[in-house]
Amino acid sequence: MSIELDNVSIGFGPPSDRYEVLKDINLSVKKNEFVSIIGFSGSGKSTLMNLFAGLHTPDKGTVKLNGEVITEPGPHLGMMFQNYSLLPWLTTFENIALAAAQVFPNYSKKELADHVEHYIEMVKLTPARDRKPHELSGGMRQRASLARTLSLKPEVLILDEPLSALDALTRGSLQEDILNIWEAEKCTVVMVTNDVDEAVLMSDRIAPLTMGPEATLTEPFKVDMERPRDRHALNDHPEYQRLKTEITAYLMRLNKEAKELAAASGSQYTMPSVMPKNFTPISGRPSLNNKVSQPS
Amino acid sequence: MADSKVDKIKYGILKVIDVSGFKVFDPPVRLLFGEEPQKQIKDIGRYMVLPILFVVGCIFLWTVIAPTHKTKSGEVPTPTKVWTAGQDSLRFHEKEDEKEKAFFLSGEDRLAEIKEVEALQAELQAEFEKLEAISKETSANAEAETAKKLAPLQKEYDELKAQYKEAQTARKAALTALSDKVAAKQAKSADLVAAIIDNDTKTDAEKGKLKDIKTAMDDIRSNPPKEVKEAQLAANKVADEIQHGKKRLSYLTTGNLSEKKASFVAKAEDAETALAASTTGKDALKQAKYVVSNTEKADKADEQKYPRAASIVWQTHRSLLTVIVGFIIGALIAIPLGIMCGLNKIVMACLTPLISIFRPVSPVVWLLIFQIVVGAFFPDPEKHPLFVFLNSSINPLSYFQTNPAMIFSACTVAMCALWPALVNTALGVSSIDPDHLNVAKVLRLGFWSRLFKIIIPSSLPLVFAGLRISLGVGWMVLIAAEALSSSDGLGKFVWDEYQNGSSQSFANIILACFVVGIIGFFLDRLMIILQRFVSFDESATL
Repeated sequence: MSIELDNVSIGFGPPSDRYEVLKDINLSVKKNEFVSIIGFSGSGKSTLMNLFAGLHTPDKGTVKLNGEVITEPGPHLGMMFQNYSLLPWLTTFENIALAAAQVFPNYSKKELADHVEHYIEMVKLTPARDRKPHELSGGMRQRASLARTLSLKPEVLILDEPLSALDALTRGSLQEDILNIWEAEKCTVVMVTNDVDEAVLMSDRIAPLTMGPEATLTEPFKVDMERPRDRHALNDHPEYQRLKTEITAYLMRLNKEAKELAAASGSQYTMPSVMPKNFTPISGRPSLNNKVSQPS
Repeated sequence: MADSKVDKIKYGILKVIDVSGFKVFDPPVRLLFGEEPQKQIKDIGRYMVLPILFVVGCIFLWTVIAPTHKTKSGEVPTPTKVWTAGQDSLRFHEKEDEKEKAFFLSGEDRLAEIKEVEALQAELQAEFEKLEAISKETSANAEAETAKKLAPLQKEYDELKAQYKEAQTARKAALTALSDKVAAKQAKSADLVAAIIDNDTKTDAEKGKLKDIKTAMDDIRSNPPKEVKEAQLAANKVADEIQHGKKRLSYLTTGNLSEKKASFVAKAEDAETALAASTTGKDALKQAKYVVSNTEKADKADEQKYPRAASIVWQTHRSLLTVIVGFIIGALIAIPLGIMCGLNKIVMACLTPLISIFRPVSPVVWLLIFQIVVGAFFPDPEKHPLFVFLNSSINPLSYFQTNPAMIFSACTVAMCALWPALVNTALGVSSIDPDHLNVAKVLRLGFWSRLFKIIIPSSLPLVFAGLRISLGVGWMVLIAAEALSSSDGLGKFVWDEYQNGSSQSFANIILACFVVGIIGFFLDRLMIILQRFVSFDESATL
């Protein structure tokens, strides 16, 4: 399934205090393609994912799945949430079964159980089948969440920073698992991340998101490396190193530009105080050199 | 393997302790299984021994202070008196049970029971005579003692009285003499006035002295030694038992249900034979009427119930039933309303004024309103089908003797218990994690499955927290409502005791205070356990 964003803009708040999060986003994801979106914290990545999933409707532009406009969320747009969103009163099995039963209402009890077991096994969670989310580690919760999303047999898999809350080791193994599953199941994947290594390792294309407000996607980087990719061998791969350096440099430049722009244009806007600690609060309207627009 | 089995038992017990909220018993259990004995002993000392010592200290203080405060209803009862009152109340309940059993016994069992009771009566009689003798002896001794104490006082009194009388006559004579002199202008009138004042003061002083002695004597008379009272009480107690035995026997014989029925049947049969043998029309009519009335009486005998007197146990059961009924009514109204409020802001906006205005209204006001409103539904409660059904002898609920007072007490409980549950449910539903709602959106759950699979389970912990507060409020309100509305229950028990003012009433009131407190405590524990079962997060709810 291909998914396409066509000149999408979205903002929040009343007209008097409007905050434009995303502006003029264009992205087209081909069938069975793995696309990563990389950007800084607070740039609107989760909003973008919610647009893909149909949880938000854009103010301007359209989101299309196979050429048809998405108007509401549904199981075919398999969204995997950033903070797991497992229902805490249900066990792993019940969480997945609740989702699967909704998508496959005609399954018998046995079929449903088999279906759920299959996905639990796929994410290697069989020992934690009857445990509740609070008894699971972060990685296990993420696996359970992944299994739930996969059990919907989605046409598009939308991963909202699936691994950012995990430690480095767990992260590595889950990355491989996701890749293996993707190759086995063959579906379209859109993933948000803030980790350049992860993006390069996993994706076919990487689209950087500029700093918000009015963030937009710039020209994606193409990752032309054969699959399956081995993370250890990849470390010495020249293409891998080139991409990593290039993307990192690009992102750094974005950040610097944003700061310079803020310094140049003086304080017109006060940013919301949702920035991470090591960011200095900036004011002004960050954008790319060639796209400076007048304040409206 | 043995180790793990022991561990399993240990952690099982600890889990039960944890869920029920009796954290105090955690260290002793761990100590029993030999886990870090030093730490456990320290904990036991801190959280078990010290609190127990404190409570014992409080009871001691109570024992010491209580008798020093005299009230209109006698002394403030000591813990021992309250304990005795408790035992007496339980015995009273047992007596009612025995009498009820006697009332319904029939056939062989009845005869056996009669024999048993008669044997018991003989024993009691013997004991009573013994105790009575002891009591008489002690009181005779005490009387002798009192007389001995009184004799010197009486003597002093008599002597003083005679002495004062003499003095008074002398003073009177002196006064007359002085007044004559004044009339004859031989003395100053001022002297006469002074003499009268002097006379009055002296007379008053003498009267006071006599009164003091009298009071001392009265004191001795009205305060016989403790032993007399105790011996009398012991004898009285047995006398009570004998009285009870007599009642029991009467319920086994003439007052017995099967006997009564049999007597009616026999009368009807007699009348029938008389009817067959009757010669005149008038006689026949009379006998026939006799047959009919006695047969009817015999038929109705089965519906008869034992007229049970209210014991504290029965009152407690009734209070519990009332509070549970009221609580359930309240919950059934509060939870759906709360869910609607939480789901829909318009409903919330509509209900907010009502909630804000009615929540602070006192339970007493609600009670009066319900008394009028509910009372109107039952103009003739004796014949109302609901009560006829609930109180018919075949219905097990007839034990509670439901009446309109109980219903409006329950309504008052419901009205007051409603608010915490309502507000908490609304809060629980409206504060549901938006991520969970997103899951529901992605899964395209319908309204009902969203409600039952996502919204209600997610708000259950808060709902139960609200219900817990509700039950506590309901229990408090109920006792007040029962006292005010004379609906049978612990509240009425307290009120009746306050009104009847016997020597044990004050002790009974304090007893009821403990019963109410302890039941309230267990109801709260019950709700905590339920709350823990529905809580999916492991945060402690205490």
